[in-house]
Amino acid sequence: MTMKTRFLLIAALLIVSCTGKTVLSDQLPDIYPDYIGVTIPVGIAPMNFNLPEGYDRVFVRVTGSNGGEIKCRGSYAGFPVRKWHELTAQNAGGTLSFTVLGRKDGEWTQWRDFIMYVSDALLDDYGITYRKIAPGYTTYSRIGLYQRDIHSFKEEPIIESTLTPGQCVNCHTPNAADPSEFLFHLRGKHGATLVQKGSEREWVTTKTDSTIGNVAYCYWHPGGNWFAGSINPVRQCFWTGHTRTIEVFDLASDLVIVDARDYSVIADPRLTTKEYLESSPAFSPDGKTLYFCRSVAFNVPAEVEKVKYDLMKVSFDPETGALGEPETVIPASGQDRSIAFPRPSYDGRWLMYNKADFGVFPISHKESDLWLMDLETGESRPIDEVNSDFSESFHNWSSNSRWFLFSSRRYDGLYVQVYFSSIDSEGHCTKPFVLPQKNPRKFYGSTLYSFNVPDFTSEKVHFDTRGVYETVFSDERIKASVKE
Amino acid sequence: MDKVYRWMLPCLLGVAVFAFWMWLFPQDLNYQEQNQLFLFTWDYLGERLRLPGGPADWLSEFLVQFFYWRWAGAMIMGLLAVLLQRAVWRAAKHAGVPGHASAYVLTLIPSLLVLVYQGDVEVLLSYPVALLLAVSLCPLFIKAGWHRLWLLPLGCWLIGPMVLLPLVVSVIQGRRWADFAMVAFAAVVFYVEYRLLAQQYPLRDALFGLNYYRLVESLPALQWIIPIVCGVVILLCSQRFSLTRPVPAAVIVLLLIAGGTAWGVSRTYDRDSQETLAYDWLIRNRRYGEVLRRARKYQPRNAVSASAVNLCLFLEGQLQEHFMEYYQCGTEGLILPSIRDNLSDSPSAEALWMMGMPNITLQYSFDLQESIQNGRKSGRFTSRIAECNIVNGWYDRAVRYLDILEKSLFYSKWARERKRMIQDESLVMADPYYSYIRSVRFKDDFITNYNALDAMMAILYNQNKNNFMAAEYFSVWQKLKSVEEK
Repeated sequence: MTMKTRFLLIAALLIVSCTGKTVLSDQLPDIYPDYIGVTIPVGIAPMNFNLPEGYDRVFVRVTGSNGGEIKCRGSYAGFPVRKWHELTAQNAGGTLSFTVLGRKDGEWTQWRDFIMYVSDALLDDYGITYRKIAPGYTTYSRIGLYQRDIHSFKEEPIIESTLTPGQCVNCHTPNAADPSEFLFHLRGKHGATLVQKGSEREWVTTKTDSTIGNVAYCYWHPGGNWFAGSINPVRQCFWTGHTRTIEVFDLASDLVIVDARDYSVIADPRLTTKEYLESSPAFSPDGKTLYFCRSVAFNVPAEVEKVKYDLMKVSFDPETGALGEPETVIPASGQDRSIAFPRPSYDGRWLMYNKADFGVFPISHKESDLWLMDLETGESRPIDEVNSDFSESFHNWSSNSRWFLFSSRRYDGLYVQVYFSSIDSEGHCTKPFVLPQKNPRKFYGSTLYSFNVPDFTSEKVHFDTRGVYETVFSDERIKASVKE
Repeated sequence: MDKVYRWMLPCLLGVAVFAFWMWLFPQDLNYQEQNQLFLFTWDYLGERLRLPGGPADWLSEFLVQFFYWRWAGAMIMGLLAVLLQRAVWRAAKHAGVPGHASAYVLTLIPSLLVLVYQGDVEVLLSYPVALLLAVSLCPLFIKAGWHRLWLLPLGCWLIGPMVLLPLVVSVIQGRRWADFAMVAFAAVVFYVEYRLLAQQYPLRDALFGLNYYRLVESLPALQWIIPIVCGVVILLCSQRFSLTRPVPAAVIVLLLIAGGTAWGVSRTYDRDSQETLAYDWLIRNRRYGEVLRRARKYQPRNAVSASAVNLCLFLEGQLQEHFMEYYQCGTEGLILPSIRDNLSDSPSAEALWMMGMPNITLQYSFDLQESIQNGRKSGRFTSRIAECNIVNGWYDRAVRYLDILEKSLFYSKWARERKRMIQDESLVMADPYYSYIRSVRFKDDFITNYNALDAMMAILYNQNKNNFMAAEYFSVWQKLKSVEEK
């Protein structure tokens, strides 16, 4: 065989192998996560996605309505971070069009192009924080608070349970997404509430002679001098059927206000009654109103389905800490429903909350949805744009209140993921998208952790782990007192 | 003769250690295997390599997965013991000029001490693996001189703080003042690696090894005594000394070592714990009759053993007639309440599963797995979690667990079969095991209550009279309750 013949043969082989027939489909591609038609902020981490199992290669071309193009190929659609950021910046207020080809059994398919909307509403927070915990039952081996840069795929631990063995790390609570003031609670034998203001760190025992325990679920007053917290011995029980597994409830629940300057506690008798369960505190952005949820106390767990929380509010004087008379905002119990996690937007325009059939832990309630209240008109509506057939639960606002995140079990009914959506001045929300991952199917399909109590963080959280173990186990605490 | 002696001793050691695990304490191998789930994935490897001592840990977990086969586990243990003995002798040869063969007997001590230490079932295989690698590094450290400046950080990452052993041996053997600066350097290396790789752990834990022991907040004395003894043995064996009657001396030392080992084993291998572990192992392998045979000879007086024996009594058709012939401790000895450890609820979870309570089984299995204190998963419990999800018809959730199991060696085939099964509902219904549990499970949805477990058993029996297990357990529960009340 001459050189020329060899060359021609090789060329012919290459041509045959490269010119496989491409099937054109008028269907949209079945991508995971469902990013078709979602609205994304400029600078979000690349919206990588996967084709269904069986497709071993994918080719994607993304073109912006305002120009720009990126291409990628591989076993999944993974876009380079820098180019992706440039493309989204170039197309703010416009759209990105995705042309997707996938190869299965050697045959290529090209689907109908789909688009993503690039919002002109900024999401300039650094990232989000969350607790990762194996979902379900009473025990955990590894648990931790983490922060994730939402502009890339970088995740870092803030604190993991390995540092404080045997203590359960409760949720990270910053002041309106500002990590220069944050707190979290450790449950366990050496429990304490950590309060960090700037570089100063204090470990506090918030239990007093007048209260039933330490504060667990907290919310900062916007001024930073106070935080409200619910004190609730949480218990879990289990269902026998195959529609639900677990029920979480409070044996008792009170609400207190803590003065973060001297750790004195206001235990107002109107919010610490035995007849009622008070929970889920949240201050309004002007700091003059405290929202919370309240239910009549029942014998739990036997009567757990009767525990239904109303949305309440009480006026608050940030100078003196004086509380007004509690008022009912939404009498959900009268409608046979229950409200949890009221979260006013930081611009004071909206109030988002959960509504479920009963209880104050909507995460285990499949029927739990997100609702939005217009604080100007007082009208509420379910946010159908983001709700699913599965549980939507904890939620929070971005610093500029143009975006919100929420946790949802829509992936498989058990594992909780974080979703993002934007809201316009009329209260219309956009189709949500799940927190992007480098290889989403691999990540979300294999993780054994739920993303619990997510929140935005405007800056990176700085938490020095040095000395934490020693302090926690020394039980050296600032002891809270009852405010005179 | 000398050569024969030098090969005979390690062979004897290997055979003895193999027999020890194969026939005396195979349940410990099962316990180690069921408290980890080795996965052939880059993520799994990456997770291990992120910590100081991670490579040794990964290697040991790779080995432990073979404990699924009892004989393979025993062989690995025997092999490790022999390799450690050989490594000690090799290190001694590099550290000096060994004297008479009587010193050779001393090289058995580290392997046998490890055997004694492993009577504590929470000792991870990472410990002997790291020790073996540390001893194997001794000749390199002795020769390395200033190369130890890079060997030390590398060794620290490979095997954790055990790297101090070759460092100290090389420093003592070298007898140079400058070498002592290496100790200060080691302190710097440890702290830097701690801050870089392990800052989410207490410094104390990092100093004593993150992967050597399963339980947190515990530091068994033998964990640091063994490396010291190992170093002493290496240095002692490297000394030239002559004995007037070397052979009798060697025999006496050998007898002393054997006697010491026997005494150590009797101290660390707690009979009650071992019997309880054995019941769990036998139940896992469906050898119910053997549990009863063992219990007739000796039964630990704890609720876990009672629940295991009662389960086996039922499965052997003897519960109603013979349960009072065995140790009982009230209703807890029938089904334990949820306990936060990685063993106690195991027989109870098995009983609840067979009785038709998949949700409580799910809770127990999940809690058993999450109670593994070093955060590892378990092939056995993950399989059961997947099964509970299959029975409940939660196939999306089941797939997640089956996907994980598919990446293991010994659970992969099982997981693939289940994945195929849940693609077709008729295959699930055709499975005798799952369809039975579906047929006997609760028809109504209500909140479970451990204190009303007997009432729940009654409900199960009343809704399906074929559920003999619920009926028998209910009946025995009542009898035990009345005994308790008296």
